[in-house]
Amino acid sequence: MKITRAAVLALLAPAMALMIILYVIPLGLYFINSFRLFKDGRIIPIWTLQTYADYFTDPFSYKIIWESVRLSLIVTALALLIGYPVAYALHTRVRSAGARAVLALLLFSPLLVSVVVRTYGWFILLASQGLVNSTLRAAGLITEPLSLLFNSRGVVISLTHILLPFAIFPIYSVLGRLDLSLKEAAQDLGAGWWDTFQRITLPLTMPGVVAGTLICFTLALSAFVTPRLLGGGRVQVLPLMVYNNTVEINWPTGAVSGLTLLLLSMAAVWALNALLRKLPSV
Amino acid sequence: MSTLVQRQEIRIEVQEARAEAARNALLRTTLALGVGFILLPLVIVIAYSFSSVAYGIFPPPGLSLRWYGHLLSLASFRGAFGRSVSIALLATALALISGLLCALALVRGRFPGKELLRGFLLSPIVMPKIVLGVGWFIFFARVGMQGGIIPITLAHVIVVLPFIINILAANLVGLDVSLEEAAQDLGAGAPTVLWRIVLPQIWSGLIISGLLAFIVSFDQVESSIFLTRGENNTLPIEMFLYMEKWQDPTIAALSALLILFAAILVAAVLLVARGTDVRRMLLR
Repeated sequence: MKITRAAVLALLAPAMALMIILYVIPLGLYFINSFRLFKDGRIIPIWTLQTYADYFTDPFSYKIIWESVRLSLIVTALALLIGYPVAYALHTRVRSAGARAVLALLLFSPLLVSVVVRTYGWFILLASQGLVNSTLRAAGLITEPLSLLFNSRGVVISLTHILLPFAIFPIYSVLGRLDLSLKEAAQDLGAGWWDTFQRITLPLTMPGVVAGTLICFTLALSAFVTPRLLGGGRVQVLPLMVYNNTVEINWPTGAVSGLTLLLLSMAAVWALNALLRKLPSV
Repeated sequence: MSTLVQRQEIRIEVQEARAEAARNALLRTTLALGVGFILLPLVIVIAYSFSSVAYGIFPPPGLSLRWYGHLLSLASFRGAFGRSVSIALLATALALISGLLCALALVRGRFPGKELLRGFLLSPIVMPKIVLGVGWFIFFARVGMQGGIIPITLAHVIVVLPFIINILAANLVGLDVSLEEAAQDLGAGAPTVLWRIVLPQIWSGLIISGLLAFIVSFDQVESSIFLTRGENNTLPIEMFLYMEKWQDPTIAALSALLILFAAILVAAVLLVARGTDVRRMLLR
């Protein structure tokens, strides 16, 4: 369909109106608060950089930032370490296309259910008398139940589960587009399985790994429900700080925390996209 | 001599076959464990919903349906479910209409700054939801729109719009422009071309992006938590707040029903879309 300039404007108008009124303006109002000051339980409507200065000189802020980044790095690494072999096995060891499709749908299925439900599932599994502890005890591996709830362990396990589909799918889809003749050529020339994997398959699937890292890391960084429900107040990450500050009507500090969170996400997106562009595209 | 070399070759082949069998077993086990890990929390929630006791013990000492009874006696969850469905349907419809027009402009239009505009339209995906949530809280308080489902619906439109634009734009790119041009040459106006030529070709994209938008809207917690005030709680927020206070299997019973709801939703879409490429896209 040929579209004139005027028609382009008309077609863009509804979406742009929504985006400006409901996205640009709310975010603007939010970040304006970072230039306000919170004092004696109320927000003082002056323009100041005091909140930034206070936030970035407080060691507590760096503790939270580091905790957020550390947690996100751990769960991203775990999701990729589990997700890569699962994607590889699904691609190479399931012959029938129908069986592959059903397994892929099963691996994707948790995303159809609310994150609150999935977090609740781990809450039941990780309880001191839950399935994980009773299985370990029955196997004779432990005598006392491990405390897996209300600390960072439970949050790490549950977040890894939540992110796993996002690690599996980019890798699985890159594997599907892989040029099999390269693999066969390597094998014909006498390369063993490990050589072929390490020198052909792994480098060629790196775009999938990087894409998975990007999705997992940014989702982990902004995770809210899981650290809140399974962390028991002991896992303090940036989204929880933004929430707490907002509840305490300390919008200025909340805005600075939120801006920090946003900048960390954007830095990760930028760095990983730059890396992605350097990799050979499949 | 030759028999010795042959024997050596046979031995290597046997070794390789053994290694391949071991790898095969290992990778199949990995896949089974991966699927098991993914499904475990959902399966356990369903099993736990039939527990006879209120405290967290597994396996439960007995079976009962009492938590389903308790769930049905709580009007708050029923109301929240209805609100969540209404919000998800409304937000999806609004985002589909504005998103389709926008995707058409992005794919068929030629104008400067298109890539920048596309980046802007997709940027809500990477925006932390809690930041958006506080932004909407301040915005809707400022304009005096509080309570009810309208502010939450409008917020969800922004959350789901980028997914819809992305999927529909990808669908439109693959279309044959000559069909549209032929219709235009024969005198069809733009609305007719859109309705009779473009829409029938992107049905699958509309269904897939609509389904995704519905699910994403239905799952919003931190983006909407400051817009709810009790009387207008959405289902995930009602569950979240209930879980902060109580941990009895009522939530498990509700979760089991939600898992069933999601399964029916997907099965219905697969069934309705039989014979189209929706199935191929979903089961890819």
